[in-house]
Amino acid sequence: MTNAALFLGGAKQRLLPASLPFRFFVTASVFHAAAWATLLAAAGDLPGFAGGTGLVLAALHLMTIGVLLMTAMGASYQLLPVATGAPIGRLWAIRLSHLLLVIGTILLTLGMALSGPALMATGALTVIAALALFAGLAIGNIRHAGKAMPLVAAHGWGALLSLAVFAGLGLLLVLDFSGGFLSDHVGLARAHMLWAAWGFMGLLAFGFSQVLVPMFALARSVPRRAGWIELTASLVALLAGGVGFAAQIPALVVLAGVGTLSGAAGYLWQMRAALKSRMRKRLGTPFVLIRLSWAMLAAGLVLALSMLALPSWENGPALAGFWLLVGWLLSFLTGVLQKIMPFLASMHAVGRGGRPALQSDLTLQAPLRLHLICHILALALISAGLAFSVTPLILAGAFAGFLGSLGFLWFAIFVVSRLR
Amino acid sequence: MEFTRRISQLLHEDHAATIALIEAQENMIAAARTTPPDASDPRTRKTLESTAALIDHEVRHHFTFEEDELFTRLEEAGDVGIGMHLREEHAAILPLGERVGALAAAALEKGFDSASWAEFRNNAGELIERMLAHIQKEEMALLPILDDLLDGETDMELSELFAAES
Repeated sequence: MTNAALFLGGAKQRLLPASLPFRFFVTASVFHAAAWATLLAAAGDLPGFAGGTGLVLAALHLMTIGVLLMTAMGASYQLLPVATGAPIGRLWAIRLSHLLLVIGTILLTLGMALSGPALMATGALTVIAALALFAGLAIGNIRHAGKAMPLVAAHGWGALLSLAVFAGLGLLLVLDFSGGFLSDHVGLARAHMLWAAWGFMGLLAFGFSQVLVPMFALARSVPRRAGWIELTASLVALLAGGVGFAAQIPALVVLAGVGTLSGAAGYLWQMRAALKSRMRKRLGTPFVLIRLSWAMLAAGLVLALSMLALPSWENGPALAGFWLLVGWLLSFLTGVLQKIMPFLASMHAVGRGGRPALQSDLTLQAPLRLHLICHILALALISAGLAFSVTPLILAGAFAGFLGSLGFLWFAIFVVSRLR
Repeated sequence: MEFTRRISQLLHEDHAATIALIEAQENMIAAARTTPPDASDPRTRKTLESTAALIDHEVRHHFTFEEDELFTRLEEAGDVGIGMHLREEHAAILPLGERVGALAAAALEKGFDSASWAEFRNNAGELIERMLAHIQKEEMALLPILDDLLDGETDMELSELFAAES
């Protein structure tokens, strides 16, 4: 049976109460707006940013923890039991993990913005407590998935391993802001970013794509071998990059770059095959974002690798990071959320005349169009601003991103309001 | 898409034809918007003819076959949930499909006026969405389950029955 068959076959029976996944999605939408607003305030500091506390670091973590991690946790709590057919565990633990993640994100990013080491450390520990709860629940669930969906489960294990590594490195980095005990803060920060973005978020995105993209596009053909190649290459990249950045071994960093490129190639090959075999030709606005995310994944990796050959370009690393975090991961997640939120809501809501609810009654096109236009505008303007070190362009891009995030928040609140 | 069982493949081909028609309807509605299209236009006429004919086929024959021959077998094998859910969707789609089919047939005779076009647009819009979600579930869940559940002999019997009634 296909992944999607198992997924849809068990969807109705394994639904969590709607309030659980949606609290993560709505909170992520709020942090989405907060991240762009913070970047708007920090626009002048973005060119040449190479780490250190301040508003840019706060904006970065509002985006990565507040939006990407928050969405990934909410989606995993709902998708894992449906995909594996096993329960996710205690619901109070899900609620607690959400509360801890919200508090932790606020404290950590406030600490970063105000350069307050104690606030940062408290925030980091609170986020780690939330991640530990999440990991415990996810491990309990994925243990039952091995036979049903080996490729999805293997991506889940890889993501959980990455979570442990990036969270541990993150705590070290935060403590180092006051202790100053690390000999190479920048090297460890790069390893932390690699394991967070590629290891945790990337592997989750690759794993869930095996199920979600064929389901959305009405396609069946996802070549499994390419998926295993992608996973192997990704794990090689994580190990090589982790050691290479931490121990300053350039050959291993290059190997990590080749690994990520190979992994991306395997994944994009799979997605191309899925879309080629699709029955539904019109895929709508969400797939504009999803396709954009795939293009930005390739472009971001090529740019990041070329930085190894052009280390003198001051804004290159920031631009590559922006393309990967906002261009790839944020575009992908917002595209997927536009499909998943009305889909999930339709399973909870009752439609007109007692018939199953229509997804179109549970979505709003105008704010999603606003978000799409503003998101693309933000990507283009900030990229140009970073490439040519023009702060007004970054400012305009951050404003567009903020406006788009308000559109997305409007959509998220509308979907939730329809659940009542 | 390739299925190992003939009946899964036949149902899949039916779904593909329905999706092609749905996309033709979407194009017709998107092009005309609130202004009634000219029902004598060859492309509009072809879409309306297919709508009147295929709705009748898909809604009655395809659904009845699934409910009588497939869901019963799934239930006998202990899988009650999926058949129950798909039956609920059939019950929502059936009257809608009949209404859209009747409106398409009427438009072929008399054309559309503002009121009949608005009614067609609203009903067809809802039908398109319900049918797509339904086909998605059948393609992703029902057909692969049939591939696993049926033996060769039953598959042959069901395929002949489905083809004979088509």
